[in-house]
Amino acid sequence: MPASPLAVEARDLAKTFRSGWLRRRETAALRGASLQVPRGAIYGLLGPNGAGKTTLLSILATLLLPDSGSATILGHDVVREAFAIRRRLNMASGNASFVWSLRPAEVLAFYGRLYGLHGRVLKRRVSELLERFELVPHLKTEYNELSTGLKQRLALAKALLNDPEVLFLDEPTLGLDPDVSVRIRAQIAELRRERNTTIILTTHYMREAEELCDRIAFIKGGRILAEGSADELKRQIRIGDVISLRLDPAVPAGLADLPGVLAMQTRGDRIDCTVDASDKRLPDVLKWLCDQGVLVRDCQVREPDLEEVFVELSR
Amino acid sequence: MSSRAELLPPGAGEAWAAEWARLTAFAYRNLIMARRNVFFVFELTFWPGVAMLSHGLLTRFLDLTPQMTAFILVGTVALSAVQVCQLDVAYAVLFDIWSKSMKHQFLTPVRIHHLAVGSWLVGVGRGVIVWALMALIGGRAFGFDFLGPGPLRVGLFLLGCFLTALVIGLLVCALVLLFGTRAETSAWAAVNFFVMLGGIYYPVSVLPGWVQVISAGIPLTYFLDGIRAGYGFPSQFAYPFATGFALTLLYAVLAHWALAAAVTRSRRTGLLLKLSE
Repeated sequence: MPASPLAVEARDLAKTFRSGWLRRRETAALRGASLQVPRGAIYGLLGPNGAGKTTLLSILATLLLPDSGSATILGHDVVREAFAIRRRLNMASGNASFVWSLRPAEVLAFYGRLYGLHGRVLKRRVSELLERFELVPHLKTEYNELSTGLKQRLALAKALLNDPEVLFLDEPTLGLDPDVSVRIRAQIAELRRERNTTIILTTHYMREAEELCDRIAFIKGGRILAEGSADELKRQIRIGDVISLRLDPAVPAGLADLPGVLAMQTRGDRIDCTVDASDKRLPDVLKWLCDQGVLVRDCQVREPDLEEVFVELSR
Repeated sequence: MSSRAELLPPGAGEAWAAEWARLTAFAYRNLIMARRNVFFVFELTFWPGVAMLSHGLLTRFLDLTPQMTAFILVGTVALSAVQVCQLDVAYAVLFDIWSKSMKHQFLTPVRIHHLAVGSWLVGVGRGVIVWALMALIGGRAFGFDFLGPGPLRVGLFLLGCFLTALVIGLLVCALVLLFGTRAETSAWAAVNFFVMLGGIYYPVSVLPGWVQVISAGIPLTYFLDGIRAGYGFPSQFAYPFATGFALTLLYAVLAHWALAAAVTRSRRTGLLLKLSE
């Protein structure tokens, strides 16, 4: 049977968390989420806090059982065949933690053994990962004494121990310095390029999603609201184009009332004027400004960025 | 870089080697922790030493016969050996509870027996050290001969203690995965409860009738009876060691099942993730 072109497929996944003994509280974390991820793709899950991103990722990584719905990883059911697929997947979280007294090589050696690595293969793999993630200078440092960035690099190194075919990354650059984030993003991209690893990542950083992901799903309230490439999403959401202006005087009254103007936002000395279609509205806006005696010092037209799509969808 | 085929080889010989690697993973971690943490030295030397000295001095004060002294000190050894060994099994889960790293081990293709056997082997090693230390102190300070019942009987007794520790350790792991950090104290409390019912410093015949029924279901009752018979006490059971091992086997299967069920439940309730936050 030919291998499925899909690495991950989820259908109508639902999960409700229940807590409390006397007063039962129920929190619906997922309400029928479905997605398809082709092999070798980087797939982003975006959404506000509590949207269900981590729940979805945890179900796919076999750490959580869904209440209903189904999911397969590389053709294996995540509930019935969890043991079989664990050899072929791995996960790293932004808030990962390991046993505090262990040193980086020991953390990797412990989890490497759990993946069945042994002898020279284990030793070589641990060395490769320590070098790749620049952990060699910290071999004598116990986990709880590592900086946040180093902990994050160790979490990523652990996630690559078994050279996973599917890798889940939950907020991989959370709380990291910009330079460390850039390096981690480069390593994620390299992983797909060199190993054809399918990567599903959750992130709060739109730039990260836009830079890394082939496809992105917006998730909110346990449902996937929109899915597609960054460009497709911008078109799907139809939040219009942005005419960014530098004017003198800065904010002329009445601009927001012009036909086709959807929103206005002041950013420093600029006004971002969101219109339904820039090609249709730009001449009208410029003519109106000219009629009002307003001096246009600069004018730029751009598509909305992913952050604006995110804000629109999160409303 | 290592190739994928190299890291996950499909051959049968490699499968055995991979199985061995998984079995020894927890032993590897427990050994590192034991080496690095001063608390473990206390577990191994201080508390067993204090227990042996205080109980030995009590037998002196009460002017007990050598035979009665042996009766009491055998209980002291049993408690310490089981306690130390079962803690190692419980550490397979407790280390991850304390460091909030629980999800990582269940993300790997690890099964309950990997977790249990590896950590238990280190527990057996540490239990033997405890036994040897207590035998030394008991022999030197109170003239107590731990090898008096013969090496076979002593060996069976220690094996029984360590298997009991395995069962208790697995149950502690299951409780922690069912109730989270609230169940942590069971790691220290559980052994005391079972040795009390098993007749640690007294024959179970002194217990109320209904408690004796419970005691009859505890393997340690039979192992203590078996070793004490070696010091000349009349045995209360026909085949104490055989009965003890049969019960232990049954409980080991049940404890394995209980832990597997607890893992599944924690995946359903989300506790596995909460223990990692």
